[in-house]
Formats: sequence, C-alpha cells, structure tokens
Amino acid sequence: MSDAKIESYSRALFEIAQAEGNLPIVEDELFRMARAFESNEQLRGTLTDSTIPADRRQQVVEQLLGGKASNTSVQLVSLIVGAGRARDLPAIVDRLVQRASSELQREVAEVRSAVALSEDQTKRLAEALGKSTGRKLNLKVVVDPSVLGGLVATVGDEVIDDTVRTRLEQLKTRI
Amino acid sequence: MNLMFEVLFAEGDPSQTHHWLLPETAEIIYGGIASVIIFSALYKFAWPMIVKSMNARTEKIQKELDGAAAARTKSESDAAGIRRALGDIEAERKKILAEAETQAAAILADGRARLVKEVAELEAKAEADLAAARGRSGEELRGEIARLSSAAMSASIAASLNDRAQQDLIEGFIKSVGASK
Repeated sequence: MSDAKIESYSRALFEIAQAEGNLPIVEDELFRMARAFESNEQLRGTLTDSTIPADRRQQVVEQLLGGKASNTSVQLVSLIVGAGRARDLPAIVDRLVQRASSELQREVAEVRSAVALSEDQTKRLAEALGKSTGRKLNLKVVVDPSVLGGLVATVGDEVIDDTVRTRLEQLKTRI
Repeated sequence: MNLMFEVLFAEGDPSQTHHWLLPETAEIIYGGIASVIIFSALYKFAWPMIVKSMNARTEKIQKELDGAAAARTKSESDAAGIRRALGDIEAERKKILAEAETQAAAILADGRARLVKEVAELEAKAEADLAAARGRSGEELRGEIARLSSAAMSASIAASLNDRAQQDLIEGFIKSVGASK
C-alpha cells in the first residue's frame, strides 16, 4: 500500500480513538496486536488470505480480541481487515502510535522482553530510558520470547541491547 | 672464220640463203643493230630497275636476316629469362620451405612451452585446490564444533533462565540504563 494510504488509515484510526476518548488504550492495544500479527505467521496468513471472505476474517479478529481488548480497538482492527488492508496493519499502527506520541510530545520507545514486565518495572524502565536519552517517551513493551532473556530498547535510531540472544550471538561469532 | 666470210660475201640468188643454217647477211646486220639497240635500251632503262630491284630484295633479305637474328636473340633472352625465372622459383620454393620449417619449429617450441606452462598451472591449481579442501574441511569442522557448542550453550542458558534469572536480567537492564546518563 502506498505511503499516502497508510497515512490516511492511521489518521482515521487516530481520530476515531481520540473521538472515543480512549486513545492511549487503543494505541497500546493496537501496537501489541500489530506485533502479534508480525510474529505469528498463521495469524498473518489467515488475515491476509483473500480467498477467505472478509466477514469471516473479521470474525476471527473479534474472536481473538474479544474480551482482551477494548471494543474500539477490536472494531478498528476489524475495519482494516475487512478493507483487505491486513498486510499493512503494522505500518498503519506504527504510524498511529507515532501520531499519538507526537500529540503527547513524546517519542516511541519499543522494548522487547522475553517475559512480561510488571507495571512497576515498566514505570521504572520508562523513567530510566527517559533519563538516559533525555527525551519524554511513550514506552511500548513487546513480549518476544526470541530474545531469550534481558531487554532490548529502541528509541528512534538508538538501540540499547542487553539480551541473552545478542550475547549468545556474540559468543557464537567469537567461537 | 671462213664460214663467216662465206656468209658475208656469198654470191648467187639473193632470194636464196647462202647457207641452210645462217640467215641472210642483211638480216644479220639489221638483227645485229636491232639487238644492239635493244640491249642498249635495256641497259639504259631496265638495268637500273633490275639493280634497284635486286638491291631492294637484298635489303629485304638482309632485313629478314636481321629480324631473324633479333628474334633469335630475343628468344635466347627469353629462354635465359625463363631459365632464370625457373631458378628464382626454385629459390623461392626453397625459401618458402625453409620459412615453413622455421615457423613449424617455432610453433612446436611455443606449443611445448605453453603445454609445460599449462601443466605447471594445473599442478599448482590442483595443489591449491587440495590445500583449500584441507582448509575447508578444517573450517567446516570448526564451524560444526562452533555450531554444536553454541547450540549446547543456548540450550543450557535457556534451561537456566528461570523466572528469577529473567527478573534479575530485567532489573539489571533498568539499573544500567538508569545509570548510563
């Protein structure tokens, strides 16, 4: 999809979430949904399969997210999948998150962890990263078992990587 | 002599010849005078023409002789030229054969040298291939050892990463990032 279309979809999602008054929740849920879409090949295959009717794909979305995400988030993802734009979901959501962060004058910080972080850890991590980078951050935590252990934080072009996976890679290279 | 006097001074019948063989005297005189006149006229008028004709014929014959001599000379010259040319052809043939032999020898020598060089190159390449294969085998072995080691290491680390270890890693990250400013 063209950059202009991605921009248009993200703006539409942003305005709907803002109109509904739950932008922080929606952008967080959509962010996690987008990361799950990227990492789960089966989910990606199902939602982008044009041979499956659109209403059936939307049903899959509602079944997966129903009860786990806000109604607005479910409806927005269902809208994108129904429009046949599921392939561009991560790009649209990333643009939405950037827009929402800009609105709050913050920068997106993506943190990947092998296990979920507690609220306290998330808060302290956000403070630590903000202190380290000198920027106000909109922290997004992605549970990614492939990192094995530790964390990797990406703030703009800056990457702070202290994962077990990377250490193992370095050790493999040395071996 | 007597006969002549008898003829000239014969007497008798003038209608009869005085001799059965000789004509009448007057006839001899007239005939003689006519003959002298004719021969004189011939000498005066015909002789120069005859002489001229003879000279012309002589000259023509001489010319023909000269032409024949020139033709002979030319033929001899041509023959000499042909003989010389034959000699040249023979020399040229010998020269071409000699050059061909020289070239053949050079090509042979060049071919031998190239063959020797190619054999040397092939030998060198074979040796290099062998060395590379030995190196590759070593590399593959080292790679396999590294792969197995890292796989074992990954499995060992993954097994040791319990919840406690995960939390320690997370806390360590937060502390190190917070202290990095």
